[in-house]
Amino acid sequence: MIKHFPQPFLLLLLSLLIVTSSCKNKAASDQPRKIAVVVSTLNNPWFVFLAQKASAKAKELGYEAKIFDSQNNTALETEHFENAIASGYSAILFNPTDAEGSVANVMRAKAAKVPVFCMDREVNTTDGATSQILSDSYSGCVAIGRYFVEKLNKQGKYVELLGLVSDNNTWNRSKGFHSLVDNYPGLKMVAQQSADFDRNKAMEVLESILQANPDIDAVFCGNDAMAMGAYQALVAAGKAGHVKVFGFDGAEDAVDAIKNGKVEATAMQFPQVMAETAAQYADEYFKGKREFPKKMPVAVELVTQNNVGDYIAYGKKDEGK
Amino acid sequence: MEAIIKLNSQNSIKKYTRSLARFQSLIALFILCFVLSILSDKFLTIDNAWNVMRQISVNICIATGMTLVVLTAGIDLSVGSVLALSGAITAGLLRNGLEFPSANLYVGFTILGAVLAGLLIGALLGVFNGWTITRFKVPPFVATLAVLTIARGLTMLWTKGFPISGLGESFSFIGTGWFLGIPVPVWISGIIVLMAVLLTRKTRFGRYIYAIGGNENASRLSGINIDKIKIAVYTIAGGLAAIGGIIVTSRLDSAQPNAGITYELDAIAAVVIGGTSLSGGKGSIMGTVLGAIIIGVLNNGLVLLNVSPFWQQVVKGFVILLAVIIDKANSKNQ
Repeated sequence: MIKHFPQPFLLLLLSLLIVTSSCKNKAASDQPRKIAVVVSTLNNPWFVFLAQKASAKAKELGYEAKIFDSQNNTALETEHFENAIASGYSAILFNPTDAEGSVANVMRAKAAKVPVFCMDREVNTTDGATSQILSDSYSGCVAIGRYFVEKLNKQGKYVELLGLVSDNNTWNRSKGFHSLVDNYPGLKMVAQQSADFDRNKAMEVLESILQANPDIDAVFCGNDAMAMGAYQALVAAGKAGHVKVFGFDGAEDAVDAIKNGKVEATAMQFPQVMAETAAQYADEYFKGKREFPKKMPVAVELVTQNNVGDYIAYGKKDEGK
Repeated sequence: MEAIIKLNSQNSIKKYTRSLARFQSLIALFILCFVLSILSDKFLTIDNAWNVMRQISVNICIATGMTLVVLTAGIDLSVGSVLALSGAITAGLLRNGLEFPSANLYVGFTILGAVLAGLLIGALLGVFNGWTITRFKVPPFVATLAVLTIARGLTMLWTKGFPISGLGESFSFIGTGWFLGIPVPVWISGIIVLMAVLLTRKTRFGRYIYAIGGNENASRLSGINIDKIKIAVYTIAGGLAAIGGIIVTSRLDSAQPNAGITYELDAIAAVVIGGTSLSGGKGSIMGTVLGAIIIGVLNNGLVLLNVSPFWQQVVKGFVILLAVIIDKANSKNQ
């Protein structure tokens, strides 16, 4: 009998047995509550850091935590939500893939009475998430823009390297920057190109731009990886030190580069603060608290060569461990 | 006698159309360069030419391996991830060495050692590709798709998701240095192309590659050890992807965990634009080099002209499509 049983089917049955039996174990009442950390991508160190800090804080507070990677794919995110809800997670610490597209997922969790706490990026609904702890990209880039204008003395040619053109953050940052810089007619943008938030792409794109515009004064990049790639291109072209580079994020490489005078400035986001606040809120929610700020903006701070000593990668020196 | 003459003239016509097919991508390249040099006075400069050559050297490394694989009627989707893993292994060993806390042992690596380790990893993944394809008859598309995911995952595990940076001046020579007035990456890719051309044109191994792609069953019946050849080809592709990974890492002075994403598509595009048939048996390394140059020139030109990033993708897609359509029309004529 068994001999005639199709082998893949047998395997499937076996794995189902294992899965269901393990589910039963978890359902026992004295197990700690489980928290899902659903993050837009793990293909970028910034989000890896965010996810790890959220998960670590949840574990520190005595919960089980698991990280789900949506791979920048809202459909995959939906699956993660469905799985998390079905397998009895009590809260979701959430970094959405898309402000509009992720709304349905948040509503799905709400319908199942699973609280959602958004980190860094927002979803465009006011009654979906229990609380949204958000990085203020726009005003961060306004601050960068202000420093940019000051550093260039309101005069010069510059290049902007955009992130992924399909990403909300790309345009939030770009708009924030231009809302200030465009008021100065002396500052002329000679090229605006996408480098996909990618270091290698940024280097190659800027290398080509430098061929057409060898006399630029500055480069503004939508994230630090691109700023580092841009710097590398400037080194190769012998223009490092003559062209000012500006980034965004507060990544380790960029903080070091600012210390060494290679990069002018970046905007420090605080992923650890956002991640830990979200985990803290989930803990308070379990203990009965229901009143949370709907939106809690976490300020983005300007890091320059003057104050870089106060900062480390992804945060301030005195913050946390 | 007449029959022989007829046969001869038919042969020469065939030869003529075939050489025309090879020239067509060259003609396309000339047209492209001509148009770009009219639109931008910065395009046709020696500086920019080196710039383009340096930028495409990584794609040429990968695409050369891809050509060999495609000639056997296979495909290798894993090259981008293999590139990332090899680069990360090299960078990690160079920066941190290997620690075995249990044995209280620390192994440091020289540049040569770290580079060789990266190459070894790339080649091993290639062997693994070849092994699953030949031993378990997994279609190459599926087998290498699996390795694409596996190698990316291993890269994440090795780097913990963070870039490995600060690799030192002497290591960066590989990606940014000059030797006898030519950028080092161009030397590397040039030597690889030269070796691959000799391999495909002058060796028995090369003829077997074409034979397998042309007709696998006939090759098997004529006594070619198909499995061995295929494993060798995927190993070469893995090793070349690793070389690409080391160049990228050195150029950036940093191994990025997300390096090389969609590089397999650029490589396949170069192979296809270069006139190599995806069904195997037909094509050449030099065609692929031309394909890679066309893509590189296009990328460079669109940025020089400050074309919007949205339009760039549309244009690139159409160029690939056009190349394949012309190729199809040509192979029908033959």
